[in-house]
Amino acid sequence: MKKTLSTLAPFLGIILVVALWFLVCRLGIFSTYVLPPPEKVFHSFLKMLKSGEIFQDVIISLVRILKGFAIAFLLAFLLGMFRSLVPSSEKYYNCIVQFFRNVPPLSLIPLLILWCGIGETTKTVIIVLASFFPMYLNIVKGFTGCDQKLLEVGDAFGYTRFEKFKHIILPYASADILVGMRIGMGYSWRAIIGAEMIAASSGIGHMILFAQEMSRTDKVIVGIFVVGIVGLVTDKLFGILLRKLFKGNGENGWN
Amino acid sequence: MAGIELKQIQKTYPVDGHTIHVLKGIDLQIPEKSITVILGRSGCGKTTLLRLVGGLESPDSGEIHFDTAHKTAFVFQESRLMPWLNVWDNVKFGLKKQPCLDATIQNIIDTVGLKGFEKAFPHQLSGGMQQRVAIARALAYEPSFIMMDEPFAALDYFTRNQMQKELIRLQKNRGASILFVTHSIDEALLLGHKIAIIENGQIKKEFLIETDSDERDLLAEELIALKREIIQQLDL
Ligand SMILES: Nc1ncnc2c1ncn2[C@@H]1O[C@H](COP(=O)(O)OP(=O)(O)OP(=O)(O)O)[C@@H](O)[C@H]1O
Ligand SMILES: [Mg+2]
Repeated sequence: MKKTLSTLAPFLGIILVVALWFLVCRLGIFSTYVLPPPEKVFHSFLKMLKSGEIFQDVIISLVRILKGFAIAFLLAFLLGMFRSLVPSSEKYYNCIVQFFRNVPPLSLIPLLILWCGIGETTKTVIIVLASFFPMYLNIVKGFTGCDQKLLEVGDAFGYTRFEKFKHIILPYASADILVGMRIGMGYSWRAIIGAEMIAASSGIGHMILFAQEMSRTDKVIVGIFVVGIVGLVTDKLFGILLRKLFKGNGENGWN
Repeated sequence: MAGIELKQIQKTYPVDGHTIHVLKGIDLQIPEKSITVILGRSGCGKTTLLRLVGGLESPDSGEIHFDTAHKTAFVFQESRLMPWLNVWDNVKFGLKKQPCLDATIQNIIDTVGLKGFEKAFPHQLSGGMQQRVAIARALAYEPSFIMMDEPFAALDYFTRNQMQKELIRLQKNRGASILFVTHSIDEALLLGHKIAIIENGQIKKEFLIETDSDERDLLAEELIALKREIIQQLDL
């Protein structure tokens, strides 16, 4: 009994919210323009599914993310590797990294539009900026947190600095790296929606804003749901990947 | 005789604002192709001395002179295995990409009594088994000079006995030089061609045991006499 209740719990929560939503609409507290009833939202959702327009926007946004994410990961990895191979270099750029970490990428949009126009470049840069820092910081944490005693084993067997990196530091850090990637993915998903609202003519963010301009609040809500669901799914996929890759290690009990 | 020569080795560590003088001028000759045992109480600086000889740290002053180039391997006091590698890969860790025969690795794993555990990960092994993997890792490297820091401390009487015999056999067969740290007097008497006692940061006394026989009888009169003498040295 307790078990079924706990598996049903999340659904109960959702049902409660929808019921409340339904009730509020029925009572006519807000106009249907401000808050369209759930059935109307669901209806538009089905229609957009059928016409396929929703997929188009989601895929456009996802492709943008993958591109920016790949660039950001490469940069973060290389810089993190450099940081771990040449520890003394950190003091030169740490300050700059900390500065940019505290600048929300969206605040750079005006400048980026000026420099790169409203083409794909602007969006790619936004995603790179959004996902770089969580990845970089986690990668550095993994690389620098390596157990000194294991590194000494490398020394004892005559490993070079690079060999130690490849055979000790990298495997040691792999869990941290994947966690950084997962966080970075979440950040870039958030950032792309914002970027698409400001400077795009396609993508899920643009779709939401466009629907609002067309006074289609129901479509706006559909867009928000889709953003939430896609974000949730990618995060879950990452979680599964993490568990798969580290299945052995998880059981090894060292992570 | 060729070997390794330590001259006036000093080492201090800063601990909590003041410095502790761990080694206060160690003079020691480590002869080639034999087993040199370092014996002393816990905390007397045995591990420190080994780390200096192994080049993992450098002395504050003094000299370490190698007569010939050596391929050295280290068995740490803790096993220090890579948690993400299984036993087989851990044993091969020192070899890097070097080609080696699977049979050789298997042979070494069998020697340390871990047959059937090749695919096991370190956390699935007991402490003593982990330590034996670390020994196997050092042996697979085919060193000419092996430094071992209380390698058999975590083993039971019988396994320890067997490992000691293997070590003696191996040293004979390969003609390797071994620097062996222990706090067990019996172990020192069983293995050592030379026993150096560290006390208060210095080599207090050295003993040479010259026997031709492979197996020493700890109950033999000379060894009992020697043991008595060593206990006296350590006791003061
Ligand atoms: N990295 C270090 N920093 C500070 N002090 C140290 C360090 N390493 C060793 N010491 C000190 O040096 C002394 C000797 O330590 P060492 O590990 O060499 O002892 P040991 O003879 O190997 O002891 P055991 O038999 O217990 O392993 C100890 O007092 C210890 O506190
Ligand atoms: Mg020690």
